Amino acid sequence: MSITIDARGYSCPQPVLMFMKAIKSGSENEVIVMVDTDASKENVSRAAESKNYSVTDIQQQGDEYRMTLIKD
Amino acid sequence: MFKFKFKKKKPHGFSQAELGILVFGNTSEVIGAQKALETNGWKIRVMGPPPEIQSGCDLVIEFPLIQELDIIRLLEKLGIPPIEMVPVTGPLLQPVDLFHIKDFGEFLMIRAANMKITVEKSTRLIVNVSGGGCPDVPYLACMMVGKTMAQAPNPLDIGHTLCGYALGLAFKEMEKRCSQW
Repeated sequence: MSITIDARGYSCPQPVLMFMKAIKSGSENEVIVMVDTDASKENVSRAAESKNYSVTDIQQQGDEYRMTLIKD
Repeated sequence: MFKFKFKKKKPHGFSQAELGILVFGNTSEVIGAQKALETNGWKIRVMGPPPEIQSGCDLVIEFPLIQELDIIRLLEKLGIPPIEMVPVTGPLLQPVDLFHIKDFGEFLMIRAANMKITVEKSTRLIVNVSGGGCPDVPYLACMMVGKTMAQAPNPLDIGHTLCGYALGLAFKEMEKRCSQW
């Protein structure tokens, strides 16, 4: 299953908490996270890796990032 | 009928009137003074400066006034004398709590100065470390995120900057909160 989280406009740690809540069921193989700061991008990446998700793609559009996280 | 009114005591047993604050020129001096005073057994607290204090850095040390002379003597000997010593005589001279705590339901965040740590309450897993801007913050985050509070290294042991120090204070406060759950 795939899910998209729009965390734009939220400051840390909220994007990370949104990601953590989204993967809680364990059924999400692909998570798309949209953030709008470098810090959020780094923090979500770190949290994802600690939960066995790999960051397979990051697309930047202006100040925004669209991150693709795939469960290992 | 007599009614007894007890003065509220501070955590370390002194009332407000018995406390003073030490103001330092920079945070490194606060860190040095805290270490020296605690090593010598004095009960002190690192706090935020009260609104009325315009000098010094973003941290002050609260201490028992009765020990003022000994404390000043030690700090002078160590080459880190405070730039000011102020007795806590009114509300505007009361140091403010250094910690900002935010409850996100399943998660708890503690911010100390410019650093934040967020923990999942049920597992005590550190889910986020952020803030600062010092070069060791990414390293500290890598070492701590994904570990429980018990497994994670103390930032005071592995950090080398003021951000590491602030994160260490937040970590210590989080440990205290975790022990109450």
